[in-house]
Amino acid sequence: MSKMVSRFKSVITYILILLFSGFFFMPLFWMIIISIKRPIDQFTLGFIPWIQFEPTLRNWESELVGQASENLRALMNSTIIGLGSAAIATFLGTLAGYALARFEFKKIKNVDIISSFLSLRFLPPIALAIPYYVLMQSIGLLDTQLAVILVHAAAFLPYSVLVMRDAFKSIPVAMEESAFIDGASVLRALTNIVLPVVAPALAAVFILTLTFSWNEFLFAFILTSKNAYTLPIRMAGSITTIGVIFYTLSIRQLISVIPPAILGLLVQKYIVSGLTMGAVKA
Amino acid sequence: MAKLTAYHLFVLIAVAYATIITIFPLAFMVYGSFTNWRLDVSGMNWVGIKYYIDLIEDYRFYNSLRVTFLLTALAVPTEIVFGMILAHLMRLQIRFRRLFRTIFLIPLFCAPVAVSLMGEVLFYEGGGPINTVLNILGFGSIPWRSSPNVAPLTVVLCDVWMWTPFCFLITLAALEGIPKELHEASIVDGASSFQIFKSIDFPLISSPLITILMFRVLDTIKIFDIPYTLVGGGGPGIATEVMSIYIYKQAFRDFTLGKAAATSVVFLVIIAIITSLFIRRLRKYYV
Repeated sequence: MSKMVSRFKSVITYILILLFSGFFFMPLFWMIIISIKRPIDQFTLGFIPWIQFEPTLRNWESELVGQASENLRALMNSTIIGLGSAAIATFLGTLAGYALARFEFKKIKNVDIISSFLSLRFLPPIALAIPYYVLMQSIGLLDTQLAVILVHAAAFLPYSVLVMRDAFKSIPVAMEESAFIDGASVLRALTNIVLPVVAPALAAVFILTLTFSWNEFLFAFILTSKNAYTLPIRMAGSITTIGVIFYTLSIRQLISVIPPAILGLLVQKYIVSGLTMGAVKA
Repeated sequence: MAKLTAYHLFVLIAVAYATIITIFPLAFMVYGSFTNWRLDVSGMNWVGIKYYIDLIEDYRFYNSLRVTFLLTALAVPTEIVFGMILAHLMRLQIRFRRLFRTIFLIPLFCAPVAVSLMGEVLFYEGGGPINTVLNILGFGSIPWRSSPNVAPLTVVLCDVWMWTPFCFLITLAALEGIPKELHEASIVDGASSFQIFKSIDFPLISSPLITILMFRVLDTIKIFDIPYTLVGGGGPGIATEVMSIYIYKQAFRDFTLGKAAATSVVFLVIIAIITSLFIRRLRKYYV
């Protein structure tokens, strides 16, 4: 009896898991399939290549070769903006995170400084987009990569401060103390002794902020037009201009999803603490 | 003394950056909300609280509030419950655990706009895959994006697809932090897996769950990308016109920055109230 019950339970478990897997995987799988279907097949339901439909790379070819300059520009912009803003956010976050982990501030308590960074994380981007537009217009930075880099770095700074602080907290102070006895400066202790230990967390913060920037839409949408547009802007434009040419939409979508997916899976270990800003540990 | 200044400097650089790029523009926006600030005309003349008073009678403001909270009320509980179910399933002895876990994580790395593109293809009403399957099964086609009643649900569906993995991952991490001995003891006592979940796991993960709730509620209230790109700028009509989209339209379609700024300030106050409710509970992690 109890054996049957447990068998029944495990069947239910697998059914539920398969249902959820289908829910999360099918949409992306469908985009891959659509991208290798001939235009004539795009409204059919077949999903097994060679058996149900004749796969083709023509769509990829025409998008990557025919539309090369626009795609390349969006890709370059997304990469430069992502790397630039991740570099600034990680650099500032490392310094502040280190100080907040190791030093007790007197006038304003550490926890208050940290909470302030945390509440910056929850500001609605649209409230900032209005002054940003006017500001960037007045200093001539509209539609430049620099404008988006500066804004993204500020938007993702709270992440890097809190996650880096968390990483520094997890290593013993004793590591630096001997260096201080030998007369090392704080900066020296940080760069030569502590940073090598937290290197994995540092890389994770860099990669996470890079993917946040890569996927960000609203700021890039408002601050760029025909020069500095990123991949999400190009994708959003295709919905109205391309309409129902599904294979083109699917290729553009895959181009934007694949790089962050690969990077993200590399830093899986740090995602939990990264996404909750250190509030939950993996 | 040298040690002291270095630490201060480290924090000051980040604080200065946040102040210049975030706080100053925000303060300027608050000032602008009391002026007739426009995008197409230069000059800002003081108008006092005119735009705030206008909001009281603005049916689109109330609509955007209603839509925003409707989306939040539908999406967030679904995501949290799905996330809990998934996390619970992943803790059972199952095959291909790593593979399934990876599949469940994929949406985390998709841009919201990429999800909209997927929605464009999947929810296409004249022969898209979902409606075709529904037709084969004998159901009628669903007007996913053209009906004002269905469009909010389509947005919710996309949001659930995107964010359930977040809830799943954090819940799983919290569950994995529970000492195994607690489970073993209750299994010996003959507790069922649901009983274990109810009386051991759930109380122990309630604090991470509140963290999840906070992140999801505050991020869903700010939602912009999916309703803006998937259903034509908050459409059909104003059926999915959330707060962020309404403010965006005031600023960049009507060029009335002062009015948009006033709406933003109200929006900010709402978010600040919700944030302060949660942040008191979160502070303990950072002491």
